[in-house]
Amino acid sequence: MSGLSIGGSQIDASWFLILAAILFIIGTAGVLVRRNPLVILICIELMLNAANLTLVVFSLQLHNLEGQLFALMSMTVAAAEAVVGLAILVDIFHVRDVEDIDELSEMKG
Amino acid sequence: MAVAGAIGVVAFREPIRSVLSLVLVMLALAVLFLLLSAQFVFVVQIIVYAGAVMVLFLFVIALFGPTRELARTRLRFQSWLSALFVLAFLGLVWTMVQGIKYRQPDQGTDLSVFGTVQSIAVGLFTTYLYPFELTSILLLVAAIGAIYLSRKKIDDL
Amino acid sequence: MSTSQLALSVLLLPVVGAILLAGRGWRLPRTFTKIVGPGVVWASFAATLVLFFNNASGDFTYWTWIKSGSFEVPFNLLVDNLSIFMCLVITGVGALIVTYSVGYMEHEDGPSYARFFTYMDVFIFSMLLLVLAGNFVFLIVGWAMVGLSSYLLIGFWYQRRSAVLAARKAFVMNVIGDAGMILGTFVLFVSYQAITYSGVFRAIAGLHECVYPRACIAPLAHPLDSPTLELAAFLLLVGAIAKSAQLPLHTWLPDAMEGPTPVSALIHAATMVTAGVYLIGRMHPIYDIATYAHGTVAIVGAVTALFAATIAIVQTDIKRVLAYSTMSQIGYMFLAVGIGAYAAGFFHLLAHAFFKALLFMAAGNVIHAMHDEQDMRKYGGLFRQLPRTSWSFLIGSLALVGVIPLVGFFSKEQILGAALSKPDDSLALAVWVIGAATALITGFYTGRMWWMAFGGKPSPERPVAVPHEARLVMMVPVLILAALSVVGGFIQTRALGIGPSSFSDFLFPVLGRMSWEEGAGVVVAGLVTMALATLLFLAARRFYVERSWKPWSSRLPWAQRLLERKYYFDEIYDSAFVRPMDGIADVGLRDIEKPVFDGVVVGTGRAAVAGASSLSLTQSGYFRNYVLVFVGGAVVAAVLLLIRANS
Repeated sequence: MSGLSIGGSQIDASWFLILAAILFIIGTAGVLVRRNPLVILICIELMLNAANLTLVVFSLQLHNLEGQLFALMSMTVAAAEAVVGLAILVDIFHVRDVEDIDELSEMKG
Repeated sequence: MAVAGAIGVVAFREPIRSVLSLVLVMLALAVLFLLLSAQFVFVVQIIVYAGAVMVLFLFVIALFGPTRELARTRLRFQSWLSALFVLAFLGLVWTMVQGIKYRQPDQGTDLSVFGTVQSIAVGLFTTYLYPFELTSILLLVAAIGAIYLSRKKIDDL
Repeated sequence: MSTSQLALSVLLLPVVGAILLAGRGWRLPRTFTKIVGPGVVWASFAATLVLFFNNASGDFTYWTWIKSGSFEVPFNLLVDNLSIFMCLVITGVGALIVTYSVGYMEHEDGPSYARFFTYMDVFIFSMLLLVLAGNFVFLIVGWAMVGLSSYLLIGFWYQRRSAVLAARKAFVMNVIGDAGMILGTFVLFVSYQAITYSGVFRAIAGLHECVYPRACIAPLAHPLDSPTLELAAFLLLVGAIAKSAQLPLHTWLPDAMEGPTPVSALIHAATMVTAGVYLIGRMHPIYDIATYAHGTVAIVGAVTALFAATIAIVQTDIKRVLAYSTMSQIGYMFLAVGIGAYAAGFFHLLAHAFFKALLFMAAGNVIHAMHDEQDMRKYGGLFRQLPRTSWSFLIGSLALVGVIPLVGFFSKEQILGAALSKPDDSLALAVWVIGAATALITGFYTGRMWWMAFGGKPSPERPVAVPHEARLVMMVPVLILAALSVVGGFIQTRALGIGPSSFSDFLFPVLGRMSWEEGAGVVVAGLVTMALATLLFLAARRFYVERSWKPWSSRLPWAQRLLERKYYFDEIYDSAFVRPMDGIADVGLRDIEKPVFDGVVVGTGRAAVAGASSLSLTQSGYFRNYVLVFVGGAVVAAVLLLIRANS
């Protein structure tokens, strides 16, 4: 049975999964294409959100609370990661004005 | 709405607009969570994610002022390869989703209290206590790290 | 103390000395070295005396060294009259010489002084191991270690290039001998499946109908043809020839005089070079059957004796005369054991140890007095100025010539008598002729040596006008050996046909008896030979005291050159062996070592670096590239998953 009962009616879970997939892919595209480091971090958050959505969908589908718990943990981790990432960026911005992530290529070779 | 927001995240030239689009996406997702009987997650999404994390992003952007991305790129094939990979990914995921076969749902869960604060709490503090504690330590470490990284370097660099 | 413990202590006391002196020995006051260095040798001598007076004998195994299938090598010591005799010589004469060198090496600085005695103690230990070993493996170990000690001691003054080259030459030739020894041992082991003396000799006795260990000397009813034993005997003979500096592996001995004089006295006169004689004696069950090899021993000995004596005539360095003299006298010993007169050969070994060590040490005293001048042409007239040394040297010289009643007469004439009187043996007769001729020449060159150094008037080139006698510690050993040279002959007066034969009686349990008796005619021949040699000794005076030392060499310049160049042996060896080896080594270095080995080693490094640098191109430094790679990987993984899920 691929159905979820939401608010009394049956909806196919696959739609939600596809939505999550699309969000994830959009996020990936953003990471690949955009050159502003901040925007890249934002796109990563988007990908994380998409993953959370997938987790919750499965949690409801399988009637198992683990998925939601995992999503909570994931959010926590994402928050922590965003904090640290931003701190690093701030550090770099102190030193030089980075507009393009391609400028940060000293780890060459 | 979520999709529109997502596209907005990626497409906007100015980061501030990207951030705001992300907020939009998060709100949309929060509603979806609610629909999916994840009340606690819905609340946390709004408070933590849309609230704290995004505000943090906004702060950083405000700190450094708006920046614009320039048109020229150094990596030539990046965009073409990216497009290729993304489309491939899309196709693959579509195929996967189509062929997905769900296993039988677990028996014996009470759907009326599924996703409520109480049930989450029960899970967090009994079976999943260990991950819970670890995550809190992780947060602590992240906070310390952030403070350390952003302190004013007067004497050493 | 039990015999086995005594035997072990005889062997190990010198090692204790060496260990004490090695390493940090020079930090201790010099008195410590002076006491420990010779002291351990005297202690070893004392232990040997106890063994001697107790008539000890036995084959003692202390532990098993190697055990591999049927190949079992024990660490065992064979104590019998032969080994006790050798130990007495080694420790007795050795102790005297080491004591002597306390004074001789006084001018060395601290580390060198201790180093000398360390090496001497190591040498004594090695030599003792060689003669006490009860099996072939430890014989070879001792053999090789003696070669090593010789190398270390010849090259003791290693700052001198000539010394280093001489040491190397000695070592290389010794190694050739070692190879022969090892191959001989292999042959014996393969044939008889035994590695201990008792094992091998019993096997031989069993197969060849002798009674171990003596009766194989008796002529056998049916002469045996034993190619295996002949082969083994010849291979072992190679070792003996190398170690005893007989032809053709003799060229190292004169060069070995580069070492300090006590070294020459101990190693190259009294002990190491006699190891070859000991070997033939110990292996007599083999040589009694391997008649061809046995005969070769005698021939080698005789030819070397004559050869060396002729070269000694033209030597100007006092130590070289003594070196060639040693070569010659050992030839006599080989001659003796080669015809089956084992006891005679060993008696001459004893006598030679006495008078040759005496001569070397007295020469050392002269060298010391002359401030390290060794060229005899610059001596002259020392008799009045160094009376004690001169008399000691005279006694040694007369013993060497074989003048009655000194020990040299009894030993040498016993050998010649045995050769002359051996029945039905043309080889014995031939070597007698050579031996007798050599005795005459010996008289001549010895006289030349004595008269040049001690007779006549002082040479105008003398470095020291008024030399003084050596110190007590250097004089006393000389005097002791002089006394021994005078009285030593009286334990074995068979050369005169009458009197005691204590020596051959002592060695009888191991070596058996000579299978023939000497007649009275032999005694006469011996006395005649002695008289002629003595005449030549005195005749040398006319040539040398009057400083007319090129009367006949100007008439026969080619002969002079031949002798001076030592029959061109060094030149022949150089072009036949040394140059080709150098050439091969050069080719190897240029064409094999550098391109191949260095190439492989360096090439591997270069390949690694090249690989790394090409791989490092992937590290572009661009974040987005890396993400691209991630996503690409994810795509690939997804594809694989799908394939797996659908198949």
